[in-house]
Amino acid sequence: MSDMKINEQTKIASLLKHSPEALECIVALSPDFKKLRNPLLRKLMAGRTSIAMASKIGKCSPQDFFKALAPLGFEYERNADVAAPATAPQKTEMPDALKKIAQENYVYLDVRALLAEGTDPLKLIQQKVNALSSNEVLVVINNFEPVPLIKLLERQGFKAFILHKSEEHIETYFYKDSSSSFLSDTPEITQTESASSKEHQDWETLLAQFDNKLQSIDVRHFEMPQPMMTILEALEHLPEQHALYVHHKRVPVFLLTELKDRGFDFRIKEMPNTEVYLLIFKN
Amino acid sequence: MSLGIQGLQQTTNHKVVLPFYIYASFAFVLGALLLFLNTELVNTHHFNPYTLAITHIMALGWATMIILGASHQLIPVLVEGKLSSDTLAYLSFYFLAIGIPLLITAFYFFNTGIMMQLAAILINVGVCCYLINVVKSAKTQSATNVHAWFIIMAACWLMSTTLIGLFLVFNFSYFILPKDSLAYLSLHAHLGILGWFLLLVIGVGSRLIPMFLISKYTNDKMLWRIFFIINFSILAFIGIKVFALSESFFYMPLLGIGIAVSLFIRHCVLAYKVRIRKNVDEQMKTSMLSVFQILFPILVLMFCFLIFSTKQEAFKWPILYGFTIFFGWLTAIILGMTFKTLPFIVWNKVYKNKAHGGKTPVPKDLFSEKLYLFMQYSYVLGFVVFICGIIFSISIALKIGSALLLLSAKFYTLNTFKTLNHKAQTI
Repeated sequence: MSDMKINEQTKIASLLKHSPEALECIVALSPDFKKLRNPLLRKLMAGRTSIAMASKIGKCSPQDFFKALAPLGFEYERNADVAAPATAPQKTEMPDALKKIAQENYVYLDVRALLAEGTDPLKLIQQKVNALSSNEVLVVINNFEPVPLIKLLERQGFKAFILHKSEEHIETYFYKDSSSSFLSDTPEITQTESASSKEHQDWETLLAQFDNKLQSIDVRHFEMPQPMMTILEALEHLPEQHALYVHHKRVPVFLLTELKDRGFDFRIKEMPNTEVYLLIFKN
Repeated sequence: MSLGIQGLQQTTNHKVVLPFYIYASFAFVLGALLLFLNTELVNTHHFNPYTLAITHIMALGWATMIILGASHQLIPVLVEGKLSSDTLAYLSFYFLAIGIPLLITAFYFFNTGIMMQLAAILINVGVCCYLINVVKSAKTQSATNVHAWFIIMAACWLMSTTLIGLFLVFNFSYFILPKDSLAYLSLHAHLGILGWFLLLVIGVGSRLIPMFLISKYTNDKMLWRIFFIINFSILAFIGIKVFALSESFFYMPLLGIGIAVSLFIRHCVLAYKVRIRKNVDEQMKTSMLSVFQILFPILVLMFCFLIFSTKQEAFKWPILYGFTIFFGWLTAIILGMTFKTLPFIVWNKVYKNKAHGGKTPVPKDLFSEKLYLFMQYSYVLGFVVFICGIIFSISIALKIGSALLLLSAKFYTLNTFKTLNHKAQTI
């Protein structure tokens, strides 16, 4: 088997794809990595986790990885572009911004049961995050530090704080810090938010309204014209009073006319440059 | 499920696309106006300054410009990638936008000198920019996408058409070709009509028509057959022309094109039959009409071959042939597809990446359906009346027919501008 060059940013999934034996080498590094033996967790985590992130979770160093993987033909190559390794917030002291938020504004979400039964909690977390108002905090309870999730939500403008309650109970707090420099970093998001707080309210109200009557579909993987077909078919079987929550890779402009013709109303929520959520319902 | 998934496809910047649409709408009005003012050209030989001017307004200013605009938008959709270069797209617009009026003016006043030569050079540079952009955009993605191949080949044929045009223009002054320019006119015309327009309309239409009808129907194998039949027919036609074979050989390419067009019509009809959308909108009705209109010029040619009329009468058949192409299926498909693609482009411009948590208008709210209907009816009526005028040599029918077409062009332009001027609103 040919050699593969790796660095801190190499994803665990790439390692496993190149050489499945890497799995046992990694598991040997830290008991935290035993989770990777679970095929679902492996699928969930490996593609989202780089060596740098994994070493944080496993409390080891990237060098331990490179050493362990070298016998399998993985060669460390320093990548000049790589900045400091991933920095998950490690402060044990609760940040001031978080302290200011009253306890009743904490939204708790325990995903341990979901993971144990083999369900990807990401969609649920994303929904909760979308429904979060500016002074609310989402507390995700898990049995490991969800570094990839933190990275993802940081891109969406959230700060994160991790609290180790016990080995099997780790709380990650996601909150918006209005005092931080984040605002100036990503004007795109702030502009959207300040310009349309009313509209966000609308999105949240609707989402709350359909809380238990929400059908989700993800059409990001489909090639054109499958997304439109899938959505229209799903709408045909949508029970009364229910709403369809669509995860799309772009705004399906041509679909909108079709929705109107069929008497459906819709709302669109765009994440900057990455993904789009649609809420489709009958008024 | 991976978070790394993102649409590889990127929507082309509207600033690249919209100028083509605006330009084309004015060219359509001008073309219809000149036809209205010069209806007597129907009784003259087709190698005539006014006929050449009108044909080139329709072929370049109207059809080619809008196809260029639309294909800059569609290529990323078809190849699931992005447009290679915005700069090349701008350049192709500027070169053509200057070259086309020069060429039209030169034809209209039959100034075969420096003006026509400069126009021909500008147009060739513009087309060259487009060709490079298409090839670079398409080759990065799926090499086996049949629609992408239709577009690439069509762009190559467009380049050869304008290159021959360039030689013909210089041949007026320098006699660089063995025969006079008229002898090569039909070669130039058919590379454009079959190689550029027919290939492109079939390649793009075979994807867009099922898509807009919301039909799952696809048949890539059949589309590949159509692709090869058309290209071989064009090559056969070139061969017959170059080796000056007898006229009876023309049946071969004619038969080939006839088969290809029938297969394309079959493709659209099958897509229509399995469509999910039950009530077909007006734009799609116009587009389906256009698909059948492709048969008109073929019928005219067959008629010419079978019953060749007297010399005097013969003038009107090439005119009828050209009319059923440029004011026929090409215009009809553009009328229909403009109000499918343009509202999409403007919607993206106005609402994409903007806060729109509230109710948003849908693309079809961006243009006036009433104006569309007026445009469609005046177009169909004008087309039929003008054809009757040509066949039965009735000058008043020619005037009425062309006036209706002019009216249709004005409705088209009005509606285009209504769409372009759409401002963000929440309902």
